[in-house]
Amino acid sequence: MRQSNIGWLFLAPATLILLVVGFIPFIYILYVGFFDWNTNAVDPTLRWAGLQNYRSLVFDTTFLNSLARTLVFAFFVVVSELLLGYVLARALMADRLWVRQFFRTIHTLPIVVAPIAVGATWRLLCVPGFGIVPYYLKQWFGIDYNISTNAYHAFATAIIMDLWHWTPFVTLSLMAGLTALPKEPLEQAQIDGGNKLQIFWYVIVPMLKPVLLTTVFIRLMDALRSVDEIWMLTKGGPAEATRFIGLHIWINVFPKTDYGYGAAMSLLTLYVTIVLSWLLFVAMTGRKGDAQ
Amino acid sequence: MAGVPLKKTGGFLPIRTNGFDRGFISVVILILVHLLWMRFLEGVLPLWVATGLCLALAVFIIRKG
Amino acid sequence: MRRSGIASFVLWICLTILTLLPVWWMLVVSMRPRVKLYSKSFLIDDLYWDNFLAVLNSSTFLQYLWNSLIVATSNAALVCALGLLAAFGLSRYRISGGDNVFFWLITNRMAPPAVFLLPLFLLFTKWFVFGDFMLFDTKIGLILLYCVFNLPFAIWLLKGMLDGIPLELDEAARVDGATTGQVLSNVILPLARPGLAVTFILTWIFAWNEYLFAATLTSSADARTVTTALAEYVSVTGTNWGEMAAMAFLTTLPALVVLGFVQKHIVAGLTFGALKG
Repeated sequence: MRQSNIGWLFLAPATLILLVVGFIPFIYILYVGFFDWNTNAVDPTLRWAGLQNYRSLVFDTTFLNSLARTLVFAFFVVVSELLLGYVLARALMADRLWVRQFFRTIHTLPIVVAPIAVGATWRLLCVPGFGIVPYYLKQWFGIDYNISTNAYHAFATAIIMDLWHWTPFVTLSLMAGLTALPKEPLEQAQIDGGNKLQIFWYVIVPMLKPVLLTTVFIRLMDALRSVDEIWMLTKGGPAEATRFIGLHIWINVFPKTDYGYGAAMSLLTLYVTIVLSWLLFVAMTGRKGDAQ
Repeated sequence: MAGVPLKKTGGFLPIRTNGFDRGFISVVILILVHLLWMRFLEGVLPLWVATGLCLALAVFIIRKG
Repeated sequence: MRRSGIASFVLWICLTILTLLPVWWMLVVSMRPRVKLYSKSFLIDDLYWDNFLAVLNSSTFLQYLWNSLIVATSNAALVCALGLLAAFGLSRYRISGGDNVFFWLITNRMAPPAVFLLPLFLLFTKWFVFGDFMLFDTKIGLILLYCVFNLPFAIWLLKGMLDGIPLELDEAARVDGATTGQVLSNVILPLARPGLAVTFILTWIFAWNEYLFAATLTSSADARTVTTALAEYVSVTGTNWGEMAAMAFLTTLPALVVLGFVQKHIVAGLTFGALKG
């Protein structure tokens, strides 16, 4: 290690770019959020508005509903992906090597497909009248499934699409975590006569905790900001059933050109994201009370 | 965050923190209280009451957290 | 034992079908002529290429494809170069406040893009304007922009790789009188080549896949990318499913090509090296 400021020279270009495209926008939006600014209004200049944007924001039910809907969606998605991913990872770990390798390749497919193409594909599958999913659900089970009229169906489809897209990632990362686990505590617990549930809860979960939290962290951040797939699948509809927060911002701010209010909306979303990720980060780094 | 050593336990917060963390917590609480205040309480009490309360709380958290 | 063998076999078959079905269906639809579109069979009836030809004959789509190629390739190259420099600095020098800077660099990746759309749009149209040139609706704008999520990723991945290269090699080269630049180009670069390849491919795919920034910060064929073409196509012609599927398939193609190569690294990459794949 060399103690020298030359190191900064190497960091400088990367830092500079991220300052320009990552940090300045944040400062700028913080500033715009306190102004009344609509380029299509009678007075297209910035006018100081104080907290007025935020004041209307906390009474904006469409926005708040969208935020709540996003949190519900993220919760469902993360929990089910974790459960499903864990079960699959355990099953795969117990199986032969070539099965593992085969599924590792298969499972990489959804992860690398462009979200926009995922949305397009699921639209092809689910769109009423054309897709095979509504057709066979009707044929085999007599279910009237329609994502363009039924809010619950649309919401459920959004969740299932996300499960398809990201459960493989959870499976793969949990597999990586399980492979790295030391064998001795497990064997010791079996010798001591622990049953499966006890072993899972008292041995595996604590050892797997860093991996679990990292996975939850990454999945949660992704789920909170998913826009592309939903936009392709339902356009946020029917009504607002699948209009998650990112989509809400996107389809509101630009056509209305109400930039001050849009800035406030974006910032509040960022606030929620940061608080959630900070909480998870604290849990991850394990700064619990008297630990250590 | 990562560079600053974590303070030993003894603050009232349930986690080990450094100065940055406590400042961050104070700002998060400040924003949250202001938003809720605007939603539910502003008709009764003006907003600067919330500001005052939060700043006092922030000083307390940063000093004693 | 035998029972469980059959059970797991059935489970794996189902899982494979479920995972591959959407992509398969996309391929099936893309190979159907208009008259057969509403057939509900899961099989490819005949090899019908006209949907692909129609898409590839559209000059706008080709232009978008070209834009995507340029943007993804330049961004991946830029990100690899800057990422390597930054990772070298972080891995070989003790920088005061380096840990904090590193942490901040990484958090950029977690930022929700929808939040940054508005400020970036305003900055690109009103502030980053130099004479007649503005960043809005240019490929350069997109190339710089994709650094927000790709650069932290590259720095993280490459720092892990560089940390794995023994410091003694640097020192030995320096004893022989190599300058810092020579250490970087003669010692580090050859050894980091596999890592750079992985980084390049993954960042290339991420840049190729990006939609939201591209849709908001470009407006003409000069800079719009393949993903926006797909989205536009759906809103323009709602029912031409065959061509839409063909377009979606073409968008997915690069990812399919590199699938075998990235599968080893994707987990380590996406979890910021917290897990080795």
